[in-house]
Amino acid sequence: MSQFKPNKITLINNTVSDLGLDSNSVGLTVRRTVAIARNAFREAVRDRVLYNLVIFALLLIAGAIYLGELSAGQESKVIVDLGLSAMLLFGVFIAIFVGVGLVYKEIERRTLYAILSKPIARSQFLLGKYLGLCLTLLVNVLIMGVGVSLALIYVRRGWDPLVFKIWPAILLIYVELMIVTGVALLFSTFSSPALSALLTFFVFIIGHFSADLKTLGNSAGSVAARWLFRSLYYGLPNLSNYSVITTAAHGYVPEPRGLAVSIAYAIAYIVVLLAAATLVFNRRNFK
Amino acid sequence: MKKDALTFLVIVLGLAEVVLLAHWIDDHRQDMNAPISEERLYLDGATAKRLTFAFNGLAADWYWMRSLQYVGGKIVHYEDSHDGRFNLGNLSSLNLTLLPPLLRVTTTLDPQFIAPYEYGAVILPELNQDEAISLLNYGIAANPSSWRLYHYLGYIYWQRKDYAQASDVYAAGAKLPGAPAWMAALSARMKAEGGSRDAAREMYRHLYEASNDEAVREMVTKQIMRLDSLDERDVIRHVLTDYRAQSGHCASSWRDVAGALRTARLKIDSTTGAPLDPSNTPYRLIKDGCDVDLSENTNVPKR
Repeated sequence: MSQFKPNKITLINNTVSDLGLDSNSVGLTVRRTVAIARNAFREAVRDRVLYNLVIFALLLIAGAIYLGELSAGQESKVIVDLGLSAMLLFGVFIAIFVGVGLVYKEIERRTLYAILSKPIARSQFLLGKYLGLCLTLLVNVLIMGVGVSLALIYVRRGWDPLVFKIWPAILLIYVELMIVTGVALLFSTFSSPALSALLTFFVFIIGHFSADLKTLGNSAGSVAARWLFRSLYYGLPNLSNYSVITTAAHGYVPEPRGLAVSIAYAIAYIVVLLAAATLVFNRRNFK
Repeated sequence: MKKDALTFLVIVLGLAEVVLLAHWIDDHRQDMNAPISEERLYLDGATAKRLTFAFNGLAADWYWMRSLQYVGGKIVHYEDSHDGRFNLGNLSSLNLTLLPPLLRVTTTLDPQFIAPYEYGAVILPELNQDEAISLLNYGIAANPSSWRLYHYLGYIYWQRKDYAQASDVYAAGAKLPGAPAWMAALSARMKAEGGSRDAAREMYRHLYEASNDEAVREMVTKQIMRLDSLDERDVIRHVLTDYRAQSGHCASSWRDVAGALRTARLKIDSTTGAPLDPSNTPYRLIKDGCDVDLSENTNVPKR
């Protein structure tokens, strides 16, 4: 006897019908968004996105075992550099490649029509998708953070103060990934996945050169060039605010005020990205 | 089934060919890389820092390990071609032209990374003292509260026999919070008796305690052995001079002075009666028994 396995469309329809669409309260709006987020998370898990953790674990194990000999007593620093860099790199790849497909896949499979035919605002749909991927990234980052902590304990054969001190850096990596996800989502609302991935990757790269854009803006000869570089500096996300991996490996913890301002900057930027994505998405005709 | 077996065979044969070709490439790659192995680095530190953006810590680790592999590879090559153990006091024979730029890139990528400064302070003075001083000054500018960097810089000046400058550097480092009390004491000692063996011994002892690097510790241990050996040779010379004054001729073998050497509390080889150096290798009589020197086989560095 064959067992009934719900396909994705059934799951989405079930989720939507579970929402109770007869009320307009804020709580209902939140529940709808959460339902879409949960579904996006489930979909990411079904797509085996978290399999990257296996590669990450292998990388850390190999690093912990072999890098001690190669680094002449600098195991802890190398483990933190390697672990947090891999966390950022893997996270960016997930944010880009899953993020650009968040909307596109729903359109391709035509599941979007089933969702939008219900009284769900497009902004709720986008926010839900965004939060779902952020949840996936959070799980990913948390497991990787625990992995790095365990690797540190292993290489030091005991407690290492870095086990605690790396967590502010991990928080900033996660915040950076949230921004990159927002950028990917924005591009995915109006562009093909390949182009969206490319554009998001460019934003990620340029976001780390923000200081250079500012310098160029200040030193440019013509007024137009100065305005151009300044606009780029303020328009593109300044991701260098979140690059604290190198200092974290030496046990430096960012100041709480600096940390809070960086997070506030990210929240403001993400709000702008999601608002812009909603604006574009609202104008798209799916008929 | 037959088709699957054929596909499987293709995979196995393909993999076998890949392994054979990889072997061939590995065997010939060294020859191909030899002319460019000592070429200047493509990237300077500042460019590398820009290109690695969020990953400069990891890039610094890679350059650091590359620096260690570079020196290690040279030592292995030296030992293979000279049929013996390499002595770290003989670094200039390795032609480590790439080491200064490698350490420079490492520290530019991660200025808070202390290990490369320490390594540079110990290894670079043999090759280029000015480069070593420049590296340490860069490190101090990037880490002004690290007393260890003052210690390493003072060590370089001391090696250079610039005792006044070494004393000033130790005095500056001693003022930093967390600096150990011996920094101030060493500053005073540098000024008063910078060239003495006791000052050298103290310097090496602190260098040993401050370092986690096995290569540095090994080098320091050997230098302390060298200092001990110099003291021992002074004692042996004194014994030989006394013997010559009493007998009118130099000692024909160690047995002639074995009693006096024992009285001087030196370690003696029970079969030959020869005094043993700190690496437990017998000293040898030279100048027809009028003087003493290290054996050719000793592990004690000659300088």
